[in-house]
Amino acid sequence: MEMFLMGLCMSVFGLGIAAVAFGAATRSESSKSAVQPELPLVKAVAPARFFSDRVAAPPTVPIAASPRQVPIEVLLLQIENHVRMEQAAAESFLAFPTQALLHSKTTSPFVN
Amino acid sequence: MTHDLLNGLSPADVEQVLALGTRMIVPSGTSLFQLGDPADRLFLTERGRIRLTLPMHVRDREENVFVEERSPGQTVGWSALIPPYRFTLTATAALHEAAVIALPREALSGYFAANPSAGYKIALNLAVVIGHRLQLFQTMWLREMQRTVEVRSV
Repeated sequence: MEMFLMGLCMSVFGLGIAAVAFGAATRSESSKSAVQPELPLVKAVAPARFFSDRVAAPPTVPIAASPRQVPIEVLLLQIENHVRMEQAAAESFLAFPTQALLHSKTTSPFVN
Repeated sequence: MTHDLLNGLSPADVEQVLALGTRMIVPSGTSLFQLGDPADRLFLTERGRIRLTLPMHVRDREENVFVEERSPGQTVGWSALIPPYRFTLTATAALHEAAVIALPREALSGYFAANPSAGYKIALNLAVVIGHRLQLFQTMWLREMQRTVEVRSV
């Protein structure tokens, strides 16, 4: 009888240890799984920063587009000045044809 | 006033040629002819400046962009003597009104037939005008091409 009770106690004790061990194991898995989702979360943040970087880039667009803000009359005048300078350069070449004069630079904003 | 088209002609021939034409006043900003118009007259510039322009798309708008300017003594509209007799540019009086002599092609052709010697000299003068335009724009085209090549090879 004593042996039976001792065996029962040992079984209950073993069962308790197994339950605690199982609980601990289960808890650690759940805590691991709680950490793992953070990784994708960090990964999810990275693209957001990437896109936010790309969004931050557009300030250059208005700068690049700023020449479009020049009034069209000014732009047409610039084109006319460019044509006049190019004609003058071409006339110089025709008067004295050399390779240097053929490719001489003007001060036109369209080529500088 | 001497006209580049009439270089080398005797004063009597010059007078006869000019007598074929009609003097016209072109108010500032007014077109003498438009791109694509039938070219039945050529013009000798007497006063003011004539702007030659071509249409170009600038910011979704079609603008007449400056190509060349003709001064007193220079010829405008030689397309009147060259098939298919269509103007390839638009000519407009610049800031001030201009005065030109309009010479009809038919009258000139008749004069050339009756005066081959004078017609030959005028044809040579016309070749100089056209040749200069060709050389000028050939040079300008090459300069632009050179820049395009430089930009693309960077």
